[in-house]
Amino acid sequence: MSAVASPVQVHRPLPPEEAARGDLYALLARLLVGPPDDALLGHLAAAERLPGDGALARAWAGLVDASKAMDADAAAEEYEQLFVGMGQSPVSIYAASYASAGSVDHPRVRIQRDLAALGLGRPATVTEPEDHLGGLLEAMRVLVKGGAGREPASLEEQKRFHEAHLAAAWPGFAAALGAAREANYYRHVAALCAAFAALEAESFKLD
Amino acid sequence: MKKTIPQTNRRKFLLGAGLGTAGVAAAIATRSPLATKQAEVAPEPAQQEGYRASPHILKYYKTTEV
Repeated sequence: MSAVASPVQVHRPLPPEEAARGDLYALLARLLVGPPDDALLGHLAAAERLPGDGALARAWAGLVDASKAMDADAAAEEYEQLFVGMGQSPVSIYAASYASAGSVDHPRVRIQRDLAALGLGRPATVTEPEDHLGGLLEAMRVLVKGGAGREPASLEEQKRFHEAHLAAAWPGFAAALGAAREANYYRHVAALCAAFAALEAESFKLD
Repeated sequence: MKKTIPQTNRRKFLLGAGLGTAGVAAAIATRSPLATKQAEVAPEPAQQEGYRASPHILKYYKTTEV
């Protein structure tokens, strides 16, 4: 057995509200990357309510209740109809569809550049373009909680990435998803997305 | 001595919105590994493989056919 000294890394635990932000980003990313399986539906169905009766708590309760009545097959079919389907899908899952053209660069180019500056990038196994909202929310999860070989980003870095790539896109996406005729379970995902997007936009303004 | 977290306006706002309770974390703790496999943002690979066909991309190509 060889004894190799390695540097000791001390990880300071995140405050619970910051960890919860990361968890919400993770959950929404997961639900946009693919439909929930039975295990995830089961855990959501058994989840505790959030305290209070604010928009986030109501949206969370709606998703928890919907998860009790949903099964993985129906969720997969709904996901396919909403985001894949034949011809043009009812709801675009790409940020570029919702962000205004404020730059000569395509949003995907700007996302690639900004991810690289943060030491991040798309894994070689992922085939989706960088502006897939599931990927962007996953990037925020990494910035909030750390992971993929990096520590949590500063609040300023999180804010910069959010404002550059998500702030303009995900409220529009949530509205489109919530209004889609094909959305049933995903109406509740849209409500959670809208409530969390509003919360993030507001909280980034506070010290 | 345990260090307390300063009660900033941001912290009060987030806690007031219900973040920081166990509900969300408990639901996600055992989430499908798909999320980390497919969507985790990993360090930039040394060599890009480029885009490959996914259902969304194939569908996009389909819409551009004349």
